[in-house]
Amino acid sequence: MTIWPEPRLLPCGDRAVSVELGDEVNRELNARVLALEYLLQQAKLPGVGETVPTYRALLVYYDPLVIGYDALTAALRELYARARPEVLPPARTVELPCCYDHELGFELEAAAQKLGLPPDEVARLHAGADYYVYFVGFTPGLPYMTGMPEQLTIPRLTNPRTKTPPGSVSIGGIQCCIYPIESPGGFWVLGRTPVRLYDPTAPDPILLRAGDHVRFRAIDRAEYDALAARVAGGRYAPKISVGATAQ
Amino acid sequence: MSERAELIVQDAGPLTTVQDLGRVGYLRVGIPTSGPMDRDAFVLANRLVGNGDDAAGLECTLLGPRVEFPDERLVAVTGAEMAPTLNGSPVPAWQGLRVKAGDVLRLGPARSGVRAYLAVAGGLETPPVLGSRSTFVRGQLGGIDGRALRKGDRLPLGAVPAARPRRVPPDRVPAYGTEAEVAVVLGPQDDRFTPAGIAAFLGGPYELLPQSDRMGARLKGPFIEHTRGHDIVSDGVPMGGIQVIGEGQPIVLLADRQSAGGYTKVATVCSFDLGRIAQLKPGGRLHFRRVTVTEAHAMLRDSRRALDAAIE
Repeated sequence: MTIWPEPRLLPCGDRAVSVELGDEVNRELNARVLALEYLLQQAKLPGVGETVPTYRALLVYYDPLVIGYDALTAALRELYARARPEVLPPARTVELPCCYDHELGFELEAAAQKLGLPPDEVARLHAGADYYVYFVGFTPGLPYMTGMPEQLTIPRLTNPRTKTPPGSVSIGGIQCCIYPIESPGGFWVLGRTPVRLYDPTAPDPILLRAGDHVRFRAIDRAEYDALAARVAGGRYAPKISVGATAQ
Repeated sequence: MSERAELIVQDAGPLTTVQDLGRVGYLRVGIPTSGPMDRDAFVLANRLVGNGDDAAGLECTLLGPRVEFPDERLVAVTGAEMAPTLNGSPVPAWQGLRVKAGDVLRLGPARSGVRAYLAVAGGLETPPVLGSRSTFVRGQLGGIDGRALRKGDRLPLGAVPAARPRRVPPDRVPAYGTEAEVAVVLGPQDDRFTPAGIAAFLGGPYELLPQSDRMGARLKGPFIEHTRGHDIVSDGVPMGGIQVIGEGQPIVLLADRQSAGGYTKVATVCSFDLGRIAQLKPGGRLHFRRVTVTEAHAMLRDSRRALDAAIE
């Protein structure tokens, strides 16, 4: 794993800068990104606006009429020196019920065939893993996660779907993702969670956050339908515990 | 009985949305800022009727709506030239107009530019969602039920601020042509392109394609050559970021863009020039001009000064 000794500060137009810490997908590197974001938020520097953490970089928006580029980049370098995972608050673990039946997990069988495993085994392996959320984005609330056992590494679909139903739990490469809104998709859909990852009517519209851990709990179709009804009536909240599971 | 004053949408046009200056604080979870595509034109419309810059108004795309006013207030139309009429008679854009109860304002097809803005004194008071009234259609957020306006919609209006009608003098009204030049800062991934690729990009011009929308402006023009493929480890997508995909063609990412993506970005359009892209019609030609960050900041200051001096 490589974390660069010095961050690369890359201008993004007149109002943003990308702080790049490395060039790969790994948890240690991502934890540094989240730690830098956390320290920057704590520092409350005038003129610093929104931040967007991703795998290996932090995008920082700023108002150049309040803070100049040189002052901002100097502050970011200084904060980076202290940006260690230990500065972050304890991680959360979110439990998501997931139904792996063939109707909701409409690509489970095809994926199983591709992987050379029985469908039940694919579902069992998928539900048994501990997932880490690197960041949330692309569409509202979509988590970028890894954590699957190696047997589930699978090439992405050659012909991406134009529509994926919300809640679809899917895999591609070494990643797992859940589609919060109906969107195109190039991952294999193994199942569906009745939990809403994005609810624009809720005070806190996004369920998952960067740095969270996710565990899936396999449920049958009857439980899925019952939970979906409770979710629709606003009578269900997923179980969230604080303190990371073993990595 | 006095009901709350409401603007009545008699005809909506193809894509008319409620916008304010945007939704701040949710980019990190994938919710875009949204807000007006041409910020300067939007802000001027508000200032012409005595509103604060952040009051919600309408963004009208290519063909304007027909709306009826419930009471006496100032209104103003800016941005694309849509030949506004009030009760059937032509009225000027870029100035405050006093309307009365029952007056009907109609905006026609855009003669020049793409997006017109309608500000109403007091602002539109649709319910704010996550701190903003801006509509984000793909995420079904803001405005009216997160969608574009429809015939029959009624938009609540705020209390009328004390203001006199003002105008932007004709020599300060922007002209929207079929060609536009915008300032760009190279990066964040300019090192993933060959010198020939960068030269092609800066040489241009690029034609704006009709598939362009509030998420991004799709362009067609000289091939922008990569050094080693177009995929990167996904990172944040800045406002105005120029993604170059497989075919070596650029997409400028705009107000409703995705928050992160896995394609190389050759450069970023400066904030003060994004309105020029918003007003370029499909088929129009775009040129990119390279500036440094320092130059960009000086240009931003100039552009803010010009905005503050636009109204007499």
